[in-house]
Amino acid sequence: MARTTSVSPDDASSGQPPEIDDAATATGPPRRRGRRARLGTQHLAGWLFSTPFLALFGTFMAFPIVASLVMSFTDFGLRNVTDPLSTEFVGLENYTELFGDETFRRALFNTAYFVVVGVPLTIGLGLVAAVLLNSSIDRFRTFFRVGFYTPVVTSIVAVAVVWRFVLDPGDGLISGVAAEFGWTTPDFLSSSTLAMPSLIAMAVWRNLGFPMVLFLAGLQSIPSEVREASRIDGAGAVQEFRKITVPLLRPTMLYVAVITTIGYLNVFEEPFVMTGGGPADSTLTTSLYMYREGFDFFHMGYASAMAYTLFVIVLAITLLQLRFLRDKTT
Amino acid sequence: MSGSARTFAIVCALPALALVLTACGSDSSDEVAADDEQTLTVWAMGEEGQRLQEVADEFNEEFPNVTIDVTPVGWDQAHQKLVAAAAGGELPDVAQMGSTMMGEFIELDVLEPIDTSTFSQDDFFPAAWENNVVDDEVYAVPWYVDTRVLYYRTDLADEAGATHPPATWDELKELAVAYQEQAGTQYGISLPAGGEGAWQSLLPFLYSAGGSLVDDDGNATLDTPEATKALEEYASYFDEGLSNTSVQPGQTVEQDFGSGDAPMFISGPWMVNNISEALPELDGKWAAVPLPADEASVSWVGGASLVTFTDSQHKAAAQEFISFLTSPEKQADWYEVSRSLPANMAAWDDPRLAEDPQLNAFEEQLSTAGDVPAMSQWNEFAHELDVAIEQMANGGADPTTTASELQAAAEPLTE
Repeated sequence: MARTTSVSPDDASSGQPPEIDDAATATGPPRRRGRRARLGTQHLAGWLFSTPFLALFGTFMAFPIVASLVMSFTDFGLRNVTDPLSTEFVGLENYTELFGDETFRRALFNTAYFVVVGVPLTIGLGLVAAVLLNSSIDRFRTFFRVGFYTPVVTSIVAVAVVWRFVLDPGDGLISGVAAEFGWTTPDFLSSSTLAMPSLIAMAVWRNLGFPMVLFLAGLQSIPSEVREASRIDGAGAVQEFRKITVPLLRPTMLYVAVITTIGYLNVFEEPFVMTGGGPADSTLTTSLYMYREGFDFFHMGYASAMAYTLFVIVLAITLLQLRFLRDKTT
Repeated sequence: MSGSARTFAIVCALPALALVLTACGSDSSDEVAADDEQTLTVWAMGEEGQRLQEVADEFNEEFPNVTIDVTPVGWDQAHQKLVAAAAGGELPDVAQMGSTMMGEFIELDVLEPIDTSTFSQDDFFPAAWENNVVDDEVYAVPWYVDTRVLYYRTDLADEAGATHPPATWDELKELAVAYQEQAGTQYGISLPAGGEGAWQSLLPFLYSAGGSLVDDDGNATLDTPEATKALEEYASYFDEGLSNTSVQPGQTVEQDFGSGDAPMFISGPWMVNNISEALPELDGKWAAVPLPADEASVSWVGGASLVTFTDSQHKAAAQEFISFLTSPEKQADWYEVSRSLPANMAAWDDPRLAEDPQLNAFEEQLSTAGDVPAMSQWNEFAHELDVAIEQMANGGADPTTTASELQAAAEPLTE
């Protein structure tokens, strides 16, 4: 998404498709027709090569996307599963109902909570892990890298089993360690104030490997000459980090921020496997509420309206991030 | 270049075309007679799915012209798979249907009503049969049943000074207190404090108090004095610290039962096997007994029924297969294979069931149990019950207020 927005203005200003530029000087007017025919064949081949993708994308992505948009303006319910033609258009009714729905507002709040706390923590800890792995630790570097990245690729079900054990109020890891010191711990997942922070902690642990890997790649692309120069000029470690590392990581930062935010706005798996949205809806996220309305209760029209509301929110936040985090030096 | 590209394109276009063609597959409605050569597709859930093929092979010996093809489907995905199949017109000939799923599929209008001259209401437990009836039309034949009873630790009950199983609500409460005070257990009983499926333990209280979920016309009756009384009784176990208020999905009661932390719980017949397999050291230290009574001791019936679909071309053979599975003899055989309780009452006279003392509580409970009425919006209705329980157990909500809020939430779902 970052690429298309930054590239398209250049194309528009040059006023012609880029592939003509290289060939324009070499070929004169007489050969034009032949070239056009050749281009035609190439276009055809291009389209043909794209057919498998276009067919799959059209069937499994574009069609459902359009269908759910249409559905969000209908009262599509259980009955319409076998009798879709009796679906009735209700205009914006689903959307107006959504804004009066207290549970939906609660779900939006929970999602915002998750994003506002979770995203900076994930990115920040990912960056710290990357910087430490890049410079301080020489031995076991691969071991730590794999260690931090493993949760990203581990099935959420396995993660849930482990975290249930960690958080278990009776004989869990935390309560067990605390008991050694004579402390008592709260029942994390059953407390409506602590359930969400617990899920955030788990999500941060599970996802920080992803920004870490990207930051590591970004750190390695920072030329050592720049660092050297800053050191010669007398910069300390903190200054070097603030004035060299962070600014030069900006493109990576943008990408990581956008992807992590989108992922966290759509948060579903963590509450789905750990709390089921409870206690008392304190971990009910927008996606989970959508799933419940759509697949448990079969209010497909209503759930689709929710999906599009979330989509607009995701789009707006992404555009804002692109605007404010873009590399300002170019 | 262009030649090979074209060939490539055709190769690529073919699957896409095939996709389009299969999407508009044929649906001729030619019925196949029962004695014709045919294959019957059957979907069965959970454990049953693993074991049904054996029984199906026996059927094949009696009806060599019918081949049965059993597809096991996990309970967790059964509901969505069936709905998707209904939407795509790809339903099997016969399927097992969970008792709480009936209402939805009747609403979807895909179930073929059963022939009541072949299957008689009098043969089955009344609640199991009632569960499948909407507007006097019967849509499924009960296959196996389950019902909730009380499990309790007899060894700890001795320590607590109890001489007999609790027979009334008062005795249940007294025993829970005695467990805590005299046997030193952490909790007196394990009742779900919310979360998915919490309604399953509330329902015995509601029915025993003489209440119901809906009246004869199908309207919600959750703010009646009986319902309020049941909610009050249920909530009191949390208010008095007799039951854990912690809610965690996927939590099982066996562990706390084994350790003695929660020496009582309400659950179904599968727990008999679960306890003897997971906790062999408890052998002889626990019992399953009928539910303590208020106005009466009334539990509810779950389980599964067998259905056939309007789209099926093998309805005649499907009916033969369902008759075979629900006959008293095969039901008793099936009990031996799967330990699921027969829905056909005559099967309980079979020595294999009649001589098993552990089954007495269930048989007694089944004869009086109420049904979970077939409701098209059952999932939502059940969710409201779960929420109400959570609000009382964890939010300290007043049972009377909860009852009227529950009624308000449930009314639009039962219209």
